[in-house]
Amino acid sequence: MSEEIKLMKGNEAIAHAAIRCGCDGYFGYPITPQSEVLETLTEVEPWKTTGMNVLQAESEVAAINMVYGGAGTGKKVMTSSSSPGVSLKQEGISYLAGAELPALIVNVMRGGPGLGTIQPSQADYFQTVKGGGHGDYKLIALAPASVQEMADFVGLGFDLAFKYRNPAIILADGVIGQMMEKVVLPPFKPRRTDEEIVKECPWAAVGKPKNRKCNIITSLELDPAVMEKKNLHLQEKYREIEANEVRYEEIQCKDAEYLLVAFGSSARICQKAVEMARAEGIKVGLLRPITLWPFPSKVLNQFANQVKSMLCVELNAGQMVEDVRLAVNGKVKVEHFGRLGGIVYTPDEIIEAMKAKIM
Amino acid sequence: MSEYTAKDFKKGQPRWCPGCGDHFFLASLQKAMAEIGIAPYDTAVISGIGCSSRLPHYMATYGMNTIHGRAAAIATGCKIANPNLTVWQVSGDGDGLAIGGNHFIHTNRRNIDLNMILLNNRIYGLTKGQYSPTSPRGFVSKSSPYGTVEDPFRPAELCFGARGHFFARAVATDAPGTIEILKAAQAHKGASVCEILQNCIIFNNGTHESVHTPEGRAKNAIYLEHGKPMIFGENKEFGLVQEGFGLKVAKIGENGITEKDILVHDAHCEDNTLQLKLALMEGPDFPIALGVIRDVEAPTYNDAIEEQIKDVKSKKTYHNFQELLMTNDTWEVK
Ligand code: SF4
Repeated sequence: MSEEIKLMKGNEAIAHAAIRCGCDGYFGYPITPQSEVLETLTEVEPWKTTGMNVLQAESEVAAINMVYGGAGTGKKVMTSSSSPGVSLKQEGISYLAGAELPALIVNVMRGGPGLGTIQPSQADYFQTVKGGGHGDYKLIALAPASVQEMADFVGLGFDLAFKYRNPAIILADGVIGQMMEKVVLPPFKPRRTDEEIVKECPWAAVGKPKNRKCNIITSLELDPAVMEKKNLHLQEKYREIEANEVRYEEIQCKDAEYLLVAFGSSARICQKAVEMARAEGIKVGLLRPITLWPFPSKVLNQFANQVKSMLCVELNAGQMVEDVRLAVNGKVKVEHFGRLGGIVYTPDEIIEAMKAKIM
Repeated sequence: MSEYTAKDFKKGQPRWCPGCGDHFFLASLQKAMAEIGIAPYDTAVISGIGCSSRLPHYMATYGMNTIHGRAAAIATGCKIANPNLTVWQVSGDGDGLAIGGNHFIHTNRRNIDLNMILLNNRIYGLTKGQYSPTSPRGFVSKSSPYGTVEDPFRPAELCFGARGHFFARAVATDAPGTIEILKAAQAHKGASVCEILQNCIIFNNGTHESVHTPEGRAKNAIYLEHGKPMIFGENKEFGLVQEGFGLKVAKIGENGITEKDILVHDAHCEDNTLQLKLALMEGPDFPIALGVIRDVEAPTYNDAIEEQIKDVKSKKTYHNFQELLMTNDTWEVK
């Protein structure tokens, strides 16, 4: 089947895109505001068509470990949750990264800390890009700003995860997960055959031919010298990803004197703020990081030569702003504007903050 | 006589759906606490996440509304740190048996002196209607639109399998029955599990239909009392007898069966075999067992630890730092 245009929620788009990109297994657990991912998958019953498995686990911990097991066999497997549930998954995520297994994790963020609120937030930026779990590891982090991107990033996330043998994460929030938009669903891609998996994933647990040793999938190494080498290898891989996979969007940046930096739902609101500010004659642009890691540091550094100041707009107390400041390295003033506790700013508020903080 | 009334334990306006079984349970818990007579300020109610886990917000006791699935572990910490507190742990079937299943069994095994309440509505209410680990096989829900393909947990089996010493059951709409088991749970020293059959009117209405009303319970339930013959039925015409390895329902007056042939309930029996059979009874062939099914004395974790400390201390040869330095071999360096 080919592309299809539909009207749906961001969470539903994730589910449909997963089936269409040839995903082999989904393991989830209900939590607001992302339960529709699991619900849509069970509704569509992909096990009857593509053969994709869908399982409601007993907890988020179980779900991520099922992903760990599935990924170990070279299959395309994924899980989704929301902030408190993703906190629970951190142990498994660290192990996936350590064992260099490809997998896709979706976080439809809500406000924290703790149980917090079911309203949208972007307060898991640090958790996503600075670790979350233990050890020196990185996740390839994609931040969708539309229902279309929710659908597109499932396939992209899997592609990157397999290309680099590294877990990838889609960092969305309650706004993107719950809002309805027109979306072009990707054409169906068949699930890989066992033969294809054997060929593409020589590291996987796929049954051992006579001519090679058993694949032991582990993140453990007790010999410090070997462990350091393993870590250096990971770091080398991360540098390669940083060199190749940075993605971002520039909106009205060409002549900008001021720059807004925002991701996900905040970028959508900032886009409106840019339009309104330009109508007032303020030359402002928006830079939207699409990959939160690898972060678009270079381009931000270049913009620091052009604009007078920057405002990082995010639904948290100031997280991505730290990376923007590192990128800019003191060349221009970088300020933060955020709302907390599930409150979402209006474009007017953003313009006001801009005038008060960076103009 | 207790100096408290249910009002002393009430706080705020519950935000559950109108008609939710949690309202009934809350009222019974407040009444039971008033009758028990332990001060609100000596009581803590600890929950995880879920509809029923909002309960501490409506109690004038200390309360903790904590992490999904972790209520039993948090209640354990609370009780161990402050043994003087009376601790009630309130969870639903999702909170208590899905993600919290591990803590549920270990709290029973460890025998912490907690009153563990399991509000069982066989559904995830708060996340709007996905199946839970107590939903029956084939159950249709938002996350199983074509029926589940898993067998459910039966809470009593978990409790007994984890060597639990107290298990009781009541229907949320049955206030006297609920209050009675709550009081028994409080009187029991050690971990006690009360399974409350609670109706989620929105997402799983009628799940405990057969025992929801007094008439239904008269027909389809048996109230167990320690030391009393296990007789039930609208006219008390049936009784439980043992047959081979199992239980059987017998009609009194038929086939020469008299009241004397009916099994007498023994909640204090250490061997839990028959108690488990009672707990697992279900319709249409058997009545659903309500009341205290198992109540066996055993040393609690707190008691055992105190005992151990006392014992170790009494055998110690040193009682202060100086004496400690002089234990075992000592040398003088010249
Ligand atoms: S959803 Fe069900 S369990 Fe939750 S408050 Fe409403 S009736 Fe009660």
